[in-house]
Amino acid sequence: MASPSEADRTEQIITHFFHKTLHAVLTSRIPQLHPAPRTSLAASRKPDRWFHLALPDLPAPIAHHGAVMDPLVVDILLTPRQDAADSGAREVVIERWTAHCVLPPPYTAAAHYPHDGSIQRRTYRKFIILLRSLYALLRLLPAHRIFRLLCSSSQPYNYDLTYRASSFAAPFSRAEEADLKQYSFTAVETLFGQLVVSVQYRPNLAGFNLEVSSPMPPMIITDYVGSPAADPIRPFPCSLPDWASRPTTFQYPPRSRTSAGTPQLDRPHSWNSAPMAHHPLSAHDRVELGSSPPGPYGRMPSERKGSFNFDEFRLSPPFSTSTSPSPPAHGGHSLKSRLQTETSPVSIPIIATGKNQMHRSPNLSDPFKSLLPPPSPRSTRADLSCQESPSKSRSFRKSEGLSLGDIYSNLHMYAAYRGLKDGRDDSGRFSALSSGGSPRYAFSRSSSRLSMPDDLEDEDFSYPFAVDDVDTSDSQTRSPDVKEAEYSSSHKSQEAAVGILVQMLKNAAPLRQDQSCSSQSSDVNGEVSMSSSFLSRKTSDALEELQSYKEMKNLLLSKSGTKLQESLNQKKSSKE
Amino acid sequence: MNCETCQLKELVVEPLEIQDVLRCILHTIVFHRALGLVRPRDVECEHFDITYVQCGDQQLEKKIEEKIDQFIGWVEKHPNRKSRVCLSFFEEKNKHASWFGNKTERRYWEQWYINLHVGNPKSHGKSHSSKAPFNTKENLSEESSSRHAALESSLREVMFQIIRFANEKKDHIPAVQNSDTISFPYEISIPSSSDSSFGWHADVLKRMLQTGHPSMLG
Repeated sequence: MASPSEADRTEQIITHFFHKTLHAVLTSRIPQLHPAPRTSLAASRKPDRWFHLALPDLPAPIAHHGAVMDPLVVDILLTPRQDAADSGAREVVIERWTAHCVLPPPYTAAAHYPHDGSIQRRTYRKFIILLRSLYALLRLLPAHRIFRLLCSSSQPYNYDLTYRASSFAAPFSRAEEADLKQYSFTAVETLFGQLVVSVQYRPNLAGFNLEVSSPMPPMIITDYVGSPAADPIRPFPCSLPDWASRPTTFQYPPRSRTSAGTPQLDRPHSWNSAPMAHHPLSAHDRVELGSSPPGPYGRMPSERKGSFNFDEFRLSPPFSTSTSPSPPAHGGHSLKSRLQTETSPVSIPIIATGKNQMHRSPNLSDPFKSLLPPPSPRSTRADLSCQESPSKSRSFRKSEGLSLGDIYSNLHMYAAYRGLKDGRDDSGRFSALSSGGSPRYAFSRSSSRLSMPDDLEDEDFSYPFAVDDVDTSDSQTRSPDVKEAEYSSSHKSQEAAVGILVQMLKNAAPLRQDQSCSSQSSDVNGEVSMSSSFLSRKTSDALEELQSYKEMKNLLLSKSGTKLQESLNQKKSSKE
Repeated sequence: MNCETCQLKELVVEPLEIQDVLRCILHTIVFHRALGLVRPRDVECEHFDITYVQCGDQQLEKKIEEKIDQFIGWVEKHPNRKSRVCLSFFEEKNKHASWFGNKTERRYWEQWYINLHVGNPKSHGKSHSSKAPFNTKENLSEESSSRHAALESSLREVMFQIIRFANEKKDHIPAVQNSDTISFPYEISIPSSSDSSFGWHADVLKRMLQTGHPSMLG
């Protein structure tokens, strides 16, 4: 009779085999579970070394929840999308993968097996080869062609590949059986019986008219940015209209008709904290059963009894410390239902808000692009600023991207900045790097256009914008104007506030030049009076200084003369 | 232990298809016998709608490419002939020391014979003259496409054959001696350039001498 440790090891091997089988089938059949190309991060992760077949990570943990003796049944379905379903197409099982342990007859019980662990080693090695064959066969069957087509095409098709994994599946009808072929792998002997893996598949899938889905009809967007109907502060609707929920890509299964609740809220949105959590291209936790296995040559040698050869050492299963596999983090059924009910990304209508008014809807002609999160408002603004011609006013370009709150802070900064007397840099942009007590601003010419929109929402960034011309002379008179603009624009639209700011900047007087260079002043009379008073002040100061120098000189001379006299008297007295 | 032999179904190929066919078959066989840690890589055939799996071992890929190039060179010198490429797995055992030093003996435990009949494309090219009637040209293109489809179907059958054989015959596989991806030493034999007719026979004889086959000793 098999010892408990042998039974546990066998159970663990079989459980991992089921898991690996499921993993291999799903990554080879379900487009949304097709892994992304290996990134450096993914490559640095420790691969699942079970059965010496390192498979790409699944986007989400998927596991088989049945017991060891429960079969694993994975149905691959060709599911019609909305438009195909409307024409009467039904969901069809095109492949059914089955893995199950067949109990041996009583007279060939485990008592006849040697108890030196060799059965587990043999089992494990045969599972390695079986998985190789399964992996190769997955690529030979007709369904792989559809999988490749759906993965490689950027256009959505009228069908999707979905799956059902369970411990039981309804048997096929006779008519269905007639259309199916079966392939069974050679059974592998285990302590619990013979493990058989087989597949029933449709040899001919030409009957399914796979074609690109019809694109969405053109829409007229009335509340575009800048339109009178646009309300700058309008919350994004939680529930999208029906036309927006129509699937646009092939990588997500269509909205399930059997889903409950509100599928829209389950979809990843850009305003969610992890919008791409369910994205097939994002890397997620690997499927793991129990604790992560140690290296392939982990603890096996120490657990063995008796002698073992090198083969045992090399082809040892990477058993974990726990003898029984711990349940995975996510239920397979729940994930299955989630994957089946997961809705497709939709085209988000342009709704002007305070921050994302520049946000554009995903490009409908490129659904693959729509799989990515929508471009952030800041990056969109940066793009816009890049594309505009350099001849445009830089201040106006920056103000395009400013939100209402940013304008307020900008105006505050502007008021504070007016007290500074530093000159402009060569580009005409103000730079105040060393003024003590003032906010330290540093702005380069080339980067400010791009980085400023990003910096607008950065809490640590203190100087949100730079202007070309700043008036520092009549700061006192401009203060109430600024404040007026500040308070009045709170009730205006963002565009009005921007217009006010632009107006202010346009009307702003140029920076006051160095006092010695007075010829650039626009007011000629003021300039003359300033220069004459400046000159007179300078002359009087000079005269005063001269006078003081004279006095000092006289004093010094007098002192020196007195001292000289005293020294002479001393000499005389000494001679006498 | 005995040596398991698998004779794969003969494939009629054109010179341009040799690379695709041989890569597909050789990599699939090695993928089934590479028991080390493998990171499988899907590769799509250039001329066929078939996806096969590579082990991701660069040395293996290089060796296979070298052998395929050698085979193509042989085919160019011996066109329109039946030929055979043999993939063998063996284990090396040290024999007793002799006058000439330590000899290692190769014991072949599995051999795969890839049977190819490389057609001569010139025989098709002659009829592609401007004076040929239009019907003949159309027939030729249809014939070419049907031949190509038949070859693709045959290649799939060969792949199924490999999977079936690799799964059925597992008990003869020896113990793994290293942690490499390609666990067992292997050898790819192509027809010898010296003697085209009996080249592969010479290879078989050579192998038998190395293994000390009883039939040779007796």
